Amino acid sequence: MTKKGRSNIQRRLIPTYIFLTIVSLISVFPFYWMITAATNTSVEVARGKIVFGTHLIENFTNLLTQQPNLWNALKNSFVYAGVQTIVALLICSLAGYGFELYHDKYKDKLFSVLLLAMMVPQVATMIPLFKMVSKLKLLNTVWAFILPSISTPFLIMMFRQNSRNFPTDIMEAARIDGLSEFKIFFKMYMPVMKATYAAAAVITFMNAWNAYLWPKVVMSDNRAYTMPMLIANLANGYSVDYGVLMLAVLFCSCPTMIIFFILQKQFAEGITGAVK
Amino acid sequence: MKKKLLSLVLVGAMSTAMLAGCGSSSSSDTTSADTTASDTTSADTAAADTTAATDTASQDTASSDAAASGDNKLTVYAWDASFNIPALQAAADDYKANVDDTFELEIIEQSQSSDVENAITLAGSSGDYSQLPDIVLFQDHYFQQYVSDYPDAWVSVDDADVDWSDFGEEKLSYSTVDGVHYGFPVDNGTVIFAYRVDVLEECGYTIDDMTGITWDDFIAIGEEVYAQTGKYLLSMDGDGNDLIYMMLQAEGGSQFKDGAPYITENEDLVRVCEKIVEMAQKNVLYLANDWSDYVDQTILGDMVAGVMNGNWIIPSIEQVEENSGKWEITSMPTLDGGEGYASNGGSSLYITSNCQNTDLAKKFLAYTFGGSTETYDAALRDGGVITCCISAGESDVYNEGVEYFNDTPIYAQIVEMGSHVQTIEQNDAHYTARTYMAAAIMNAAQGADLMTELATAEENLNFAMGN
Amino acid sequence: MLSRLWLKGALKLSKKNTSVVAKQRRAGWTYLAPATLLIAIMSFWPMIQAFLMSLKTGSSANMQWAEPLFYNYKRILSDKLFIRSVGNTFLYLIIQVPIMLVLAMLLAQMLNNKDLKFKGLFRTCVFLPCATSLVSYSLIFKSMFATNGLVNSVLLNLGIIDTNINFLGTTSTARVIIIIALIWRWTGYNMVFYLAGLQGIEYSVYEAAKIDGANSWQTFWRITVPLLKPTIVMTGVMSINGTLQLFDESVNLTSGGPANSTITMSHYIYQNSFGDFVANFGYASAMSFIVFVMVAVLSAINMKVGDKRD
Repeated sequence: MTKKGRSNIQRRLIPTYIFLTIVSLISVFPFYWMITAATNTSVEVARGKIVFGTHLIENFTNLLTQQPNLWNALKNSFVYAGVQTIVALLICSLAGYGFELYHDKYKDKLFSVLLLAMMVPQVATMIPLFKMVSKLKLLNTVWAFILPSISTPFLIMMFRQNSRNFPTDIMEAARIDGLSEFKIFFKMYMPVMKATYAAAAVITFMNAWNAYLWPKVVMSDNRAYTMPMLIANLANGYSVDYGVLMLAVLFCSCPTMIIFFILQKQFAEGITGAVK
Repeated sequence: MKKKLLSLVLVGAMSTAMLAGCGSSSSSDTTSADTTASDTTSADTAAADTTAATDTASQDTASSDAAASGDNKLTVYAWDASFNIPALQAAADDYKANVDDTFELEIIEQSQSSDVENAITLAGSSGDYSQLPDIVLFQDHYFQQYVSDYPDAWVSVDDADVDWSDFGEEKLSYSTVDGVHYGFPVDNGTVIFAYRVDVLEECGYTIDDMTGITWDDFIAIGEEVYAQTGKYLLSMDGDGNDLIYMMLQAEGGSQFKDGAPYITENEDLVRVCEKIVEMAQKNVLYLANDWSDYVDQTILGDMVAGVMNGNWIIPSIEQVEENSGKWEITSMPTLDGGEGYASNGGSSLYITSNCQNTDLAKKFLAYTFGGSTETYDAALRDGGVITCCISAGESDVYNEGVEYFNDTPIYAQIVEMGSHVQTIEQNDAHYTARTYMAAAIMNAAQGADLMTELATAEENLNFAMGN
Repeated sequence: MLSRLWLKGALKLSKKNTSVVAKQRRAGWTYLAPATLLIAIMSFWPMIQAFLMSLKTGSSANMQWAEPLFYNYKRILSDKLFIRSVGNTFLYLIIQVPIMLVLAMLLAQMLNNKDLKFKGLFRTCVFLPCATSLVSYSLIFKSMFATNGLVNSVLLNLGIIDTNINFLGTTSTARVIIIIALIWRWTGYNMVFYLAGLQGIEYSVYEAAKIDGANSWQTFWRITVPLLKPTIVMTGVMSINGTLQLFDESVNLTSGGPANSTITMSHYIYQNSFGDFVANFGYASAMSFIVFVMVAVLSAINMKVGDKRD
């Protein structure tokens, strides 16, 4: 393409740039607010100060004295969310792959039935689930945290729907080459679907990282606390120190963003490069 | 390159999953060299964990029994790191220093009081009390309901070595069921009315002019204050409106009669509601949208010249450093004049049925919260927790002037006020009533007819209570 | 135990000399097995128990069969607050979901343009809202729309309003703010799915359309939308599901107020089991099943309309 053609394209994209910039600013503003709040005192935050202050170090020391558990909670959150992401991705992508690429009318029926699992409000199933996990003697372990959300209709659906455009002809070619069914999954499907895997990883990690209601129920031990539980401890009470709270929230928001930063290239790069 | 990286990540991920999977499963089954086989194992181990519970003998973190197993160790749930947790810490230090130096108290912080209630609900519903700590701090208004719903969760402390008569009768009425003592009172919910004396002075009033007045007088002064300074004389969380309860208790009335809602027929209650609506409409009272709006906007945001609530609101008032020395406290106004006394909030400590060492728990609580001056002095100093124990309230620390409140001895004042609070009929549906009454006030303040709104509230409350 | 059996079965299957089709079909079932089993145990079993609970009354430690059996369900019909919560939830659904999904699609389409610069930056910015935790998100919205907050002072300075508006304390504006907050938080989330879905469409398809003289509008409607249909169906089902079970925003932003005028179904159900209300798990479970039926019907319609294989 010529230089002129390129600048023409860029010129036509100007409205797009403007729109995206506005959306980005709206999206980023609260984040900016959060960072400034972490450097201000509680009263300043409550009164809506939105410029940087000088209380960052003070807030940090206060955070550590109020919540000596901080590093442990960070570690727990990482372990729980990490294990859940890996296990859930594997199990659900297998299922989504099976549902779509081997579909017949029984499997389609089964899928509709599985979908029902996400439609009951969480509060209703909490007590029966708690009974089960407590009978299995898994309370306060990573398993209690992840078991109910390893296999979710949502993830299965995501893989199933995104597999619609999977080029089935390469599967046939692989079969002729003598690849076993499992090898087709690991060697062909996984690399081709990396965009979906990346998006699913981001979403699963984020959901696991931010989970609150269920972990609160099964994690009663101080040592098993997660970041959202720690933040909830800071956010409630007769009086809240907002500077300290926002600093903790900042700590809590970073990992999801970093994961997104790392993985976003994957799901934006496209199928064309992968299948060759 | 990218493809390689991704597969590397995936392989790493899977082996982690496998390790994690095998870690909790006592037998690590197949060790096939074939990649496909080993990959399925990892997925499979996770699945097996749900079905084959017996396999998972070992556990990753702590034991599932939350109650302490050591001889001299107790665990306790509490929920406010700047309020009741320091009080518990003070008690633990006291007991350790004066009774048993091997004693240990593990405080497990909860985000809010409802976490403790939910923990009991869960344990009671599933019949599995093993998750509960030895002791819980529990909100007074909820306790009666939880005893009737989950009688197995609690332990009587009747035989503890405590002089119960040293506590206010009103406070003990919450933790006593059918004459049996279950709890040790901790913080005192006595209502204070704190005023900005500098603002009052600007309008020509003193704190004494605010003491023992009627609500009508209060409204007149409030209008003047708003006109001159733009500050409201009172604010409240409009969603969890405690004004109704507090004002009615000051009259000696209750929203319940013989276990049923007593609203539209209750003359005092209707008058209280009328006053609240009038205050809201005349800009004397600011009804905030929720709790944080109440604290952050109205109190921290310096919108008000008066705060009326349980004395646990004091640490919030004190957060605004530049107003130090400008506040003082007094009792509440009443409908027909005279000083009003009420109590709002407050909690007590209860021993759960999961406690393996109830003797130690009783001894610890009886020694400390049963009346130890050392515990209560430290609790006041570190957390601003004010005792309900009458003799402990006579210590020197209580009689010291508090700088923030113009060097007046507010703590002694609060303990004294607390002794006047009248016992009124309580009900399990206390907070449900609050929710519906708050809605009625909110709508009436925006122009709806009060009596219609109160009738709706009564109907909804009856519905929620299953009447 | 079960794991070993399943593995053995799987291995046996792959070794056996059956016809290719049968082998494939079985492999398909093997793929589904772990996920299906987990869902059965961790979701369906608790659901059955919750359903049984919905037929009982009394404290959750000592529940009795209701008399008559469908007492709790009957009770729902005369529960004004529940009916109001249904109305609120559907209001959010009807207004918020379409706006959000269209916006997400638009953004994904823009960000998928290969000529666009700073793609990574824009992408991250748009995704950022759903990475912020719930606490900060609700705090931010509350303080921005507070009576003395940023939005009020901006509007006041621009001369659009004369006096400060109590946004969260007035029913109509409180509902609007919940909708705005939902759009702000979840648009980026849905965009991620569309972006991942768009990767499945080969670039050559667009090139071909261009050669055929289609403008970008036509390309979007005739190529992108049909090819993205599976993803659109999925986000639709997810959004319906998410909105009908909306809980956090109602609790954190408005606490259901003012005077319960913004409360959602899940929030009300929670209040009946763990919140301020008298704990009544039987009744809460019954309401949950009403929500379940609503979500199931709407999702089924969505799937029927959009999920046909061509």
